[in-house]
Amino acid sequence: MKDKVLIANRGEIALRIMRACQDLGLDYVVVYTAADEHSEHVRLNLDGKGNNRRAWRVASYTDPNDILAVADHTKCTAIHPGYGFFSEDFRFARRVTTRDRPLKFIGPTWEVIKELGDKINTKRVANQLGIPTIPGTDGPIYNEIDAEEIARRLLDDQAERKIHRPSILVKAAAGGGGMGIEEVHEIEQFRRVYRQVQNYAKRQFGDPGVLIEQCLRDYNHLEVQLLCSRHGERVHFGTRNCTIQSTGRQKRLEAAPGFDPTCFPYEFDGPAVLERIVEYSLKLASHVRYDNVGTWEWIVSRDGSPYLLEVNTRIQVENDVSARISYINGQHPNLLREQIRLALGDKLGYNQNDIQFRGTSIELRIVAEDAQRGFAPWIGTISRFSYPQHEWSAVYTHVPTDRPYVIPSDYDPNLALALVWGDSMAEAKERARLFLNEMVIEGSNAAGLPIVTNLQYLADNMDRLLTF
Amino acid sequence: MLEQDIDFDAILSRYRADPFDYLAVHTSHTGRLRFKVAKGDQVEGVTGKFRHIPGTLLYELERERNPKRFTSKTNGQVDMIRADLEGNFVEAGEQIMTLKHPLTKREIIEYILRQVLTPYKAPEKAKYFFSMDLQARVDKYGLRGVSLKPGDEVLTMSLMKRDTPVYYDGEPGIIHSVYFKPGVSVEQGEPLFGVCPKDRLSLIERIITRVKAEWD
Repeated sequence: MKDKVLIANRGEIALRIMRACQDLGLDYVVVYTAADEHSEHVRLNLDGKGNNRRAWRVASYTDPNDILAVADHTKCTAIHPGYGFFSEDFRFARRVTTRDRPLKFIGPTWEVIKELGDKINTKRVANQLGIPTIPGTDGPIYNEIDAEEIARRLLDDQAERKIHRPSILVKAAAGGGGMGIEEVHEIEQFRRVYRQVQNYAKRQFGDPGVLIEQCLRDYNHLEVQLLCSRHGERVHFGTRNCTIQSTGRQKRLEAAPGFDPTCFPYEFDGPAVLERIVEYSLKLASHVRYDNVGTWEWIVSRDGSPYLLEVNTRIQVENDVSARISYINGQHPNLLREQIRLALGDKLGYNQNDIQFRGTSIELRIVAEDAQRGFAPWIGTISRFSYPQHEWSAVYTHVPTDRPYVIPSDYDPNLALALVWGDSMAEAKERARLFLNEMVIEGSNAAGLPIVTNLQYLADNMDRLLTF
Repeated sequence: MLEQDIDFDAILSRYRADPFDYLAVHTSHTGRLRFKVAKGDQVEGVTGKFRHIPGTLLYELERERNPKRFTSKTNGQVDMIRADLEGNFVEAGEQIMTLKHPLTKREIIEYILRQVLTPYKAPEKAKYFFSMDLQARVDKYGLRGVSLKPGDEVLTMSLMKRDTPVYYDGEPGIIHSVYFKPGVSVEQGEPLFGVCPKDRLSLIERIITRVKAEWD
């Protein structure tokens, strides 16, 4: 029997998963919340009636009972969590796969997610294997006095090492995606920031635990894209660079490969560092018997020292930026399709030698936000949304192009992901600028003020992309 | 609004003509629906000294062979019921019945006060929380023991996973009534709380006294 996939996510990733299922000849169902009823992932799937419907409304994307009730009712056999929501929740993966009517979880096994999905545990495992990690706590801290002592020690240690302007990061332990992170320079500021992050963490994630670690400066934020099967096969799709982020440390521009020689004004052995982090990533993947798509996140300092940040045990927003520099039999791989196929039990069917890397790709995250005001989210109604189509670009979006769209205030105001690629960094940048110039987004908010997006910010920051 | 601006007779006669609220009941979740009441049934809301006695069982949703029970939050009568959905799988947010709830004296006072108090409206559709400082003052002195003045950090607006402080920019006064629940999304422009300037407290008290005296 062919599998039927429940897509437990929203926005552009729901659409990408939907198309990957269609490519693989798999039936699927999407879920949505009331706030998302005008999203493309819903509108495209509301045609059928009764059990033939492909879109079902749930209370929340984080309500497992609702989602599993829809899966049972529609006779789904597998569930794709996308990114965010349940994608790195080992309890959800365990429940899905061990219940009376088990479903296939499209992601790593719950045991692997448990081991690596938690960045604190990842740090412990990495340290055991001799893989370098950032100095700081390797467990959540709940006590303010303990936290202050750790913060003081980290700041003192940096001062002793003559690090210019020492600082630490206070993070929500249960957070991710750059949210709930604050920087502290002086120990006197610490308690106020600690309480602020703790409150945020409690409200957003239900867990007030925080992590404290040294804040590194002048670094590159790199990622290694791995793909592993349940048959012990492991390949990588190179590295990508995600250093350009908004003030909330949300990624905005990504590029692959991780280092480009034209982007460094100083001596740096980029290929050697990339090789090293790929090797470390594969070592950890092998140790935990990693068995699906995953991303190993690294911080690389100016002197070329890599520190493992965390492992994302899921498909990432930016997976396609790696796919666009990778070729298998002359074609870009579709990592979502590969992820689904492997989770359903397929073998990889190729090895590392079959993957060629060529050229450069850039991903632009187009968001309704005001870069001039700390990337404050903008909400309102989009009246016109259009983007160019080129053979060197791809766009993933849930925003309709044929009717107005109200941006739901319940979620991030992400509008689209645009991928451009070229033979060189210079060509990719030039194409990205052209793409941004051709894109049209119009709309207004409740006060009648015009829409604010980050299109200009992306264009302005193109030149400093990968330049450090 | 001044006392002479309020037409008490008109307001009270409106409530006398139809002293009910019509509350739509929507399914909170997905699942197979089983009604536990029928049209015309009387239902009770949450009761007990500690509000520990649940209301009348309205319906069950069955998911993974586990029934999830939903009880009435208020008293009243089942006015409309979607009997056609009995035994069917329903989505979250489906309207399945309407309850006709007889208004209490207290509820009528609150409705009238909404017209008298200065509303502080939600700047955006978002989730709201009192700011840490304000919440601490409310916990210590009670809601009506806390006064507000322009520039006070009054709320934390949680919008698109970001927390933004909201500074009070209305007239000085005390928070008399709160209309939002922490963590529950509020539509843009909906009142979050009603502020009573100190010089209007006596008017509020007179309204309460009058409604109490005239409403039986």
